[in-house]
Amino acid sequence: MRVYQALLQAFAWASAVLVGAMALAVTFDVVARNLGWANTGWVVEVSEYSLPVATLLIAPWLLHRNQHVRLDVLIDSLPRRLALLLERCANLLGMAICAVFVWFGSLLIIDSARLGSMVVKTLSIPEWWQYLLVPVCFFLLAVEFARRLRA
Amino acid sequence: MTWWLSAIVLFGLLTGLFLLGLAAAFAFFGINIVGAWVYLGKEAGLIQLIRNGIVSITSFSLTPIPFFILMGEVLFHTGVAMKAIDAIDRLIWRVPGRLSVVAVVAGTVFSAISGSTIATTALLGSLLLPQMLARGYHPNMAMGPIMAIGGVDMLIPPSALTVLLGSLAGISISQLLIAGIVPGALLSVMFIAWIVLRAKMNPALAPAFAHEDLPLWDRWRPLIVYVLPLVLIFVVVVLAMTAGWATPTEAAAIGAVATVVVSWIYRALTWSNLMKALLGTAAISGIILFIIIGATTFAQILTFSGATNGMVEAIKQGGFAPWPVLIAMMAVLLLLGCFIDQVSMMLICLPFFMPLVALYGFDPVWFGVLFLMCMQLGLLTPPFGMLLFTMKSVAPREIEMRQVWHAVTPYVVMGVVALAAVMLFPPLATWLPKLMFK
Repeated sequence: MRVYQALLQAFAWASAVLVGAMALAVTFDVVARNLGWANTGWVVEVSEYSLPVATLLIAPWLLHRNQHVRLDVLIDSLPRRLALLLERCANLLGMAICAVFVWFGSLLIIDSARLGSMVVKTLSIPEWWQYLLVPVCFFLLAVEFARRLRA
Repeated sequence: MTWWLSAIVLFGLLTGLFLLGLAAAFAFFGINIVGAWVYLGKEAGLIQLIRNGIVSITSFSLTPIPFFILMGEVLFHTGVAMKAIDAIDRLIWRVPGRLSVVAVVAGTVFSAISGSTIATTALLGSLLLPQMLARGYHPNMAMGPIMAIGGVDMLIPPSALTVLLGSLAGISISQLLIAGIVPGALLSVMFIAWIVLRAKMNPALAPAFAHEDLPLWDRWRPLIVYVLPLVLIFVVVVLAMTAGWATPTEAAAIGAVATVVVSWIYRALTWSNLMKALLGTAAISGIILFIIIGATTFAQILTFSGATNGMVEAIKQGGFAPWPVLIAMMAVLLLLGCFIDQVSMMLICLPFFMPLVALYGFDPVWFGVLFLMCMQLGLLTPPFGMLLFTMKSVAPREIEMRQVWHAVTPYVVMGVVALAAVMLFPPLATWLPKLMFK
């Protein structure tokens, strides 16, 4: 349990640091380009790729802290037992949805790696790199929903 | 399946998941799994769903979102924002309803350097609300302006939601950001006029109190020291975009780095508050972008199911005049705004609205501003307006939700009036961007 929480926290911090690094890199890029230092077209691309990475990294931590936007006012206004029942349904569905993402996310990675698809812009990277975090983060999200079911 | 049946099933399921209390992002994921299986071809459809989701936020046009949010978070966590509000507080005196007016003015200034409506409301609420209540202000007089000006933050650049709207709807992001300035300022002026009028008519609502007599320099110095540099950052960000020196992303990154540097110069920056600001930024942008991963494919599924085309065709066949269609779109947005969050609103409505905008030849920038104004009202309309909850969470415990609703009502009415004004006089939205992007 402690390891699990530390992992979520570490992912969240990684996301925060990534956002800061993006801001610095893009600023540096503008300055460098205008001073004619270097052609740093790759900075733009790296910051593009960073956006889903930062988003996926922090998603499990947000769920753990119940920060994802949701309509909880209706649930809050229902009688307690009914609310608990609905809450359980929502968590069960959430877990199932995340399981689908883990499974098909993995398939996507395997498929793309087998085909050797590349994304060719300024940088060329294997397409499957982009999706690596999908199964990892959705697995953590599924665990989080399961944890709520037990609580 | 006929288009309207598809539409009813898809939207019905989505509503069900929302009502169940599943987070918006997961509700979209759930619908998409069903939709991708049915319309995009079983397993291949599900793989495509995940690919689309990730690719949809691998986008340079969305990168300003975290940067704009970072600007506000840095100023909030380092305490520089509070000094700025204090500086404005010193300048406004002998005005009826003084503290409420301070809230609106400070909120407008802070909007100009913060991309997050919630940060603005939370900041003003935690800072000014206790002061107002202690001075005997009526709770309506105290809470209303703070929530209202928090909503206006969305219209005044930098604004994360404006970037998102521009990116999703294919409207020029720089022009849309600039177009929000005049309507935002118009709303601020209306709010101030209302506060002064109310306080004049019934001074008991906002009891006047003696304000310390300061020498002229002491009054102005904090403004020059704490507010002017922030306004300069705003000007640089806006100029960089409009003059074509930098893309919105680059301008936003420079703005974010500049706020960090300014906070450092004020000796307000510590490692601990910088990290807090970064974590806060990652959290807020993560919430927004995660919904987008879930919802982009939703638009595709609506198209594949024939729902989008069906609806648009039906309106075309109906031969409706432009005005009723526009008003109907705004009405849908206002209604949705009472129940769901801004990002979901955009993702649900844009697939239907943008083809209609093209069909009727509405100016996209003008339409974008109207869309933003409806979303800004959605932040304030009961029962689920997000800023109402933000306010409730920073207000003293004895304040009930009913009272929060009551406090915001006149500002919602003013928002609707301003919306009508921009509808009737499009130049309110389009004049400034046209001037700046010749």
